Amino acid sequence: MISGRLKKVILKVLKLNSFDLYDETLAYQVPGWDSLSHVIILAAIEKEYGIHFRVAEVLRLRNLGDLQILINSKITNNNQG
Amino acid sequence: MTSVFQLVWDCWENHVKEHPQYEAIVHWDALGKPFRWTYGNLLEEALKIADNLMHQGVKAGDVCALILRHNKYFYPIYMGIAAIGAIPAVLAYPNVRLHPAKFFHGLSGMAQKSGLDWVMTERELELSIKPLIINEQSTIKGIFFPLEWINSQQPKELKYELINKSRNTINSSAPFLLQHSSGTTGLQKAVVLSHKAVLEHIKRYSKAIKLSEEDKIVNWLPLYHDMGLIAAFHIPLALGIPSIQLDPFQWVSAPIILFQAISEEKATLTWLPNFAYNFLADRVDEEEMEGIDLSSMRMFVNCSEVVRSESHKKFFNRFQKYGVKKESLAACYAMAETTFAVTQTEPGFEARMLTVDRNALARKIVQPPQYAGLEKICVSSGKPISDCLLKIIDENGVELPENRVGKVFIKSISLFDGYRNKPETTSQVLKDGWYSSGDIGFLHNGEYFIIGRGDDVIIVAGKNIFPEDIEDVVNNVKGVIPGRIVAFGVENLETGTEDVAVIAETSCEDAIEKNPLELTIKQAGMDIDVTISVVYLVPPRWLIKSSSGKPSRKANKERILVNNVDLIKK
Repeated sequence: MISGRLKKVILKVLKLNSFDLYDETLAYQVPGWDSLSHVIILAAIEKEYGIHFRVAEVLRLRNLGDLQILINSKITNNNQG
Repeated sequence: MTSVFQLVWDCWENHVKEHPQYEAIVHWDALGKPFRWTYGNLLEEALKIADNLMHQGVKAGDVCALILRHNKYFYPIYMGIAAIGAIPAVLAYPNVRLHPAKFFHGLSGMAQKSGLDWVMTERELELSIKPLIINEQSTIKGIFFPLEWINSQQPKELKYELINKSRNTINSSAPFLLQHSSGTTGLQKAVVLSHKAVLEHIKRYSKAIKLSEEDKIVNWLPLYHDMGLIAAFHIPLALGIPSIQLDPFQWVSAPIILFQAISEEKATLTWLPNFAYNFLADRVDEEEMEGIDLSSMRMFVNCSEVVRSESHKKFFNRFQKYGVKKESLAACYAMAETTFAVTQTEPGFEARMLTVDRNALARKIVQPPQYAGLEKICVSSGKPISDCLLKIIDENGVELPENRVGKVFIKSISLFDGYRNKPETTSQVLKDGWYSSGDIGFLHNGEYFIIGRGDDVIIVAGKNIFPEDIEDVVNNVKGVIPGRIVAFGVENLETGTEDVAVIAETSCEDAIEKNPLELTIKQAGMDIDVTISVVYLVPPRWLIKSSSGKPSRKANKERILVNNVDLIKK
């Protein structure tokens, strides 16, 4: 499930008042989420959560659910580390 | 060296004879190891494709549309088409967000206007494209999936004689390739370039950038873009210089891969649209730069958008410590209609910056700033390359002297003959051997400065977008008053490119109705793969009309940007 925190970051970057985001949502289905804004969104997420995505991780993302799982695993690793 | 050859194929073949083991193309994949094509194995594979094409009935002079994703076999497929004297035309593989109906409409329009004979693509697009073949009006004779030939190919004796015979039916004036100049939804204009035009251009432009055997070109640009296809693919391939080809989709997701390729391969040259300088400076993480060395680069050539001084400064300040040299910041002025380059800055010197008076520039005069705060920095795109002439013309068609702003006209040995199947459009831009580029610029101390467009074309990240395409799709959105829409570009200094803005009249009055309408308008843009960044919803009869009775893009853009009217929903 997409957390409220992640949703807030995405909508803020895309300047959207509201838009429903689900695990299956693909980037291209969200207004304004194009190839250029993709990197801006990822950078905003990194800043919000204090995490860092690696190139291969970014290229393997299929949908928002994947992104949420990746964020969760990084937060867990940070907490354990 | 290219001038001794009649056909581009002859040039490639000569490399195989002289040094088959030379590296031709490094196919880069950020998720795996690079694949390295030598001239020998590249042409061997191309001939197998050519043999297959002949079996399928493809003939010399046929136009073969290539719609493939980043794949190591793209190159031999492209070359195999040329091997039999057919004409390759690289088209964009549809972005996932492009509505299938819009893709079909675009390809259908292109098939009719550009005269496509065959489509070579991936199995995934079969259902989308097949109806085009059945359509009686379509010129498309068939659809192939050449990647499947490669995987299932059985060893067999190639009929070299038949391949050579087919190719020998054409001469140096025959069409070599077809590229599309700009557009979004089927309005693309097809530019056909002959073998001679391409070879002559390679000779002249490589001299302008002092290309040598020491060079190695790196490219993330898609090969349906003239900058990717001509500058970063054809030029090195014809001259025996290796090129490293990156996946454009991977690059926009992870821009660091350009620097990884430069660093690992010790590349020396690349071409970038202006936005890429900002994109790299803003989006590459400092941690990712560990171990990256950019000192091998002798030229980063800024091209295909207005060159912005802020972008060069930002890029240099960020990456100087990784080896970027000021003198490597070059610029070029180019377009598909002239094969590629028209002007180029001097290699080994930073593109010249000229500080001018912003107000005077608006009056079409180039002069030093009269007061502080009026400065505007323009960046030179350099001097004309050999056998290329430019002139700056005023609205009455009179040639202007130095330091006066006007429309840019070009004459070149590599100029196209006209848009394919579009004689009227051709006659509008091509007169007495001069091509009217639609760009606005000026001449100063022998160098040309391109400062914008003379028409309403919006340039986003190096891609030309016609505002009428956007207005057409927004026109169908429920809640928008039909015919009462304008779309235009707004310069975004942060990203170094333009944003797309739309003003639409609506009878909706409160935010409960306006918010979903704004969203629907943005989604309509997505259907044609255009990101609408800002939507202004205005009440009925807000838009100013031009003398033709249609809403004026220029006047309404000025009105909305200058007057921040309260009733407007932004």
